[in-house]
Amino acid sequence: MKALALGILAALLLLAAPNRHALAAEASEAPGAKPLAVGTAFPDVPLIGPVSPELADNLGIPQNGPTPIAKIKAEVLIVEIFSMYCPFCQRDAPAVNELAALIDKQGLAGRLKIIGIGAGNSDTEVDIFRKKFKVPFALFSDATFAVHSAVGQVGTPYYYVLKKTPQGFTIVAAHLGLIHSPADFLKDVTAKAGL
Amino acid sequence: MRLFTTLPAVVAVLAALALAAPALADAPLPPGLAANIFQVPHLPPTDSQLAVAVGSPMPDFDLPTVTGGRVRLADYLGKKNLVISFVPAAWTPVCSGQWPGYNIAQDAFEENDDALVGITVDNIPTLYAWTRQMGGLWFPVASDFWPHGGLAQKLGILRRDGVSERALFLVDKKGVIRFIDVHDINVRPDLGPLLEAMAKVHAEK
Repeated sequence: MKALALGILAALLLLAAPNRHALAAEASEAPGAKPLAVGTAFPDVPLIGPVSPELADNLGIPQNGPTPIAKIKAEVLIVEIFSMYCPFCQRDAPAVNELAALIDKQGLAGRLKIIGIGAGNSDTEVDIFRKKFKVPFALFSDATFAVHSAVGQVGTPYYYVLKKTPQGFTIVAAHLGLIHSPADFLKDVTAKAGL
Repeated sequence: MRLFTTLPAVVAVLAALALAAPALADAPLPPGLAANIFQVPHLPPTDSQLAVAVGSPMPDFDLPTVTGGRVRLADYLGKKNLVISFVPAAWTPVCSGQWPGYNIAQDAFEENDDALVGITVDNIPTLYAWTRQMGGLWFPVASDFWPHGGLAQKLGILRRDGVSERALFLVDKKGVIRFIDVHDINVRPDLGPLLEAMAKVHAEK
């Protein structure tokens, strides 16, 4: 009987698992996605594309890349993998802007920064997204999907939360899909990054 | 009996799981909007012989749209430059991303006095359902279903299996084709070269 109960429990847990994913849904699928594990080093991917002098200054990088991501001056870095072609990323854009505003408001801007990398997007396409949604943080292009491939071919939008270590950035959290509450998201980021 | 005493605990665990929607999940699998997208194997990049060239007149067309109207070449002549985006098939991976991208590029089209028309060889009900799932589009979507691929054939972009190439055409206000990109069907074209061509045609006045 005990075995039966445990069996039912296991079956129900298996059935429940997709529901848990469904809650985190609302993302564009990336076949073959293998997100990088929390606790592992984030690859030192190149950041490509021109950024404004102000944003370059804020991140401590040159305006024109490619710049290795580890050069970014930040204690904690949120990296959004997005695409201008992804309807979920488009829908998520106002929430991410709100997240950036919250970071400023809470006086965390010097320590916690956000960047976006447009998977499969050229500079022109990244620029269309930037202008359309008035994105206040730096967006970089990844026309060849090279960065997308290096970071696990994730679905979009995908958020990696990275913490600076002497060796570079390490992944402390990850999130697939829309950010429904920028405040809750920020709370989780600061908790998991120990800010 | 033991089962019945265990059940409340099972229910409690399930309820906890169902309610647990952490803002930061540890890398869940992509569940996908794409549940309805048909996965297509890698195809030969192109499979047709282009029948027009830059400088050729755009063949005439008069096609039904998903909103019940029609699009005709004559609607644009003398009024707007026209971009025609052919995508191979509804409900396939690359195509399902391409037009949602164009959806946020409306300003770039308008700045260059361009209209955009999306066309596939699918029938209207299929295109209706598919574009609705995208959340709607600002530009008309027309069907080149019957006679099957009629316009695609005039342009020389109908593949042997009955779908069209993934192709972009820019037609100026005089009806002359000014830019053609018959793209590798497996890959989404970069909008950059099209926008450059649009700006060049617009600058001519």
